[in-house]
Parts: sequence; C-alpha cells; structure tokens
Amino acid sequence: MADRTIEDRLREEYFDLLPNIRRVIEQLEAEIKYHLPPISHTLARHERLEVTSRIKECESALGALRRRQEGGTFDSDRPELYSLSRLRDLAGVRVLVFPPSRLAEVDQLLCEQFSSWTSDPFRDENVLGHKYYGLCPDASDEIQGEYQVASMLTGLFWEVEHEAIYKPTPSLKGVARSLEMQQHSQDVYRALRNFEDEFERLAKQEKSGS
Amino acid sequence: MKQDLLRQAGYAYNFDRMVYFNREARKAFSVEFVEDNGEEELKKRIQEGGEPNGWRFYFNSPPSDAVRRELERALG
Repeated sequence: MADRTIEDRLREEYFDLLPNIRRVIEQLEAEIKYHLPPISHTLARHERLEVTSRIKECESALGALRRRQEGGTFDSDRPELYSLSRLRDLAGVRVLVFPPSRLAEVDQLLCEQFSSWTSDPFRDENVLGHKYYGLCPDASDEIQGEYQVASMLTGLFWEVEHEAIYKPTPSLKGVARSLEMQQHSQDVYRALRNFEDEFERLAKQEKSGS
Repeated sequence: MKQDLLRQAGYAYNFDRMVYFNREARKAFSVEFVEDNGEEELKKRIQEGGEPNGWRFYFNSPPSDAVRRELERALG
C-alpha cells in the first residue's frame, strides 16, 4: 500500500477537529450577535450591519496551509511540521458594516468584548476593516476563532472574489498573490474606500442641512 | 515595477506554487522573495546565471531537497 501523503494525514486531522470547529463557530457567532444590538437597533435607514459565519472547508484548509509555505509546497520529508490547528480562521465570523463610521463603532465595541484577542491586520493596508483571532475557551482550547469587521462594499467584493472565483476553483487561489493582482486589488479597495468616505460625507452634510 | 522586470525577462507566474519561473533559465522566484527584495536586487538575481544541473530557487528560506524535487517536477 502506498504511504499516506501529508494531504491524507491533514484530511484525517480536519475531521478530528471538526466537532471543535463547530463549537467555536457557534459560540463566536452567538457572542458577537449578543453584543451588537446597541448598534444594530439604532441604524439609520441607509445604514447596514450583517453578521455571517462560515467553517473553512477541508480542501480549502489544506490549500491555505500549503500556500503558507514558501513555494506553495509541503516538505514530504517533514510531515510533523504541518497541522491544520495552526490556521486561525477555521471558524470565522464576518461583520459587514456600512458606512465607515458605523464600522468604527462596531470595531470598538467588539474590541472591548474580545480584549484578549490579537489583531491581525489585513495584508493590504487599503482594506477598510479589521481582523482578530483568539480562543473561545468555553468552546475549545485548541481551535482559534477569527472575526472580521469590514466595510460592506469590501465584503461584497470578497464574496465575488472568494466565493464565486476561488472557492469553486481552489487552484486559482494563488492568483491573488501575483504582483499584478495585488496591484488591481489595491485599486479596488481604494476606490471602494473613496466611495464610502464620500457617501458618508454627503450623508452628514444632508443631515446637518435638514 | 517588479512585475515588468520579471515579465520582460521571460518569467511567468505559477499561481499554484506562487512562484515566478522561467523554464529556459531554470530559475524561480517565490512571491515572498519578490515582495521582500527591491528592484535592484531582483534585477541582479535575474541576470545571474542558472545552475548547471536542475533549477535555481530564490526563496527567503532555502527550499529543502524534498521541496526542490516537488517544485522541479511541477515546473517541468
């Protein structure tokens, strides 16, 4: 029988971890939703706040761990180096907010509630949003959770980029790291940010004038 | 721009392995190496000769033998 590959071993690990991942996502989503009503109940008609959650799928987790290695390649002589439990986003909650001033409020509120969590800035500094990771000790002391607070327009862009392009075609995921795509992504983030800032400026102007 | 330097020197991007590679020169640059080094350094490395046998990899951390073998197989 052929030796098991690193990928085989990681798939087995994934399904061992899955019950814990489920507990973390349930706990994290519930906690975040519990804390948000003071903001969500005061939103103006044009303001938005949405909470979504997802468990990273098995092949997506394997791909993410492989792409963390320089050259996107596991060292088959050293399988002990790799564990999916090192990924911080196996259980992830995303809070999408519009406009930016509300985003800052949500970020501050959740920072206070998750004060022991670690900030993990987005790779692209033009992204309007924040990302944190940490443990939900009531759910698991092994699996870390991640939550993101991001601008709604950026989140919807990610849905197209990740959900419609990369998720059905995981082999394309590395495209995002190419210098050309990084440049184009920066342009998109900057444009979305400019749109949101200007929208908010005009909305405030309208409010103060009325 | 770094991407122009690489393109003009005949390097293509392999998005599965996230390396810029040139089969003729048998050289490959990881995205991490490209991101972490300046244009002058990159230009110098592009102009360097290749290995007499096999590929030359420009990585921040030199790849192990097993990783080299796998990359050489993948890059053709």
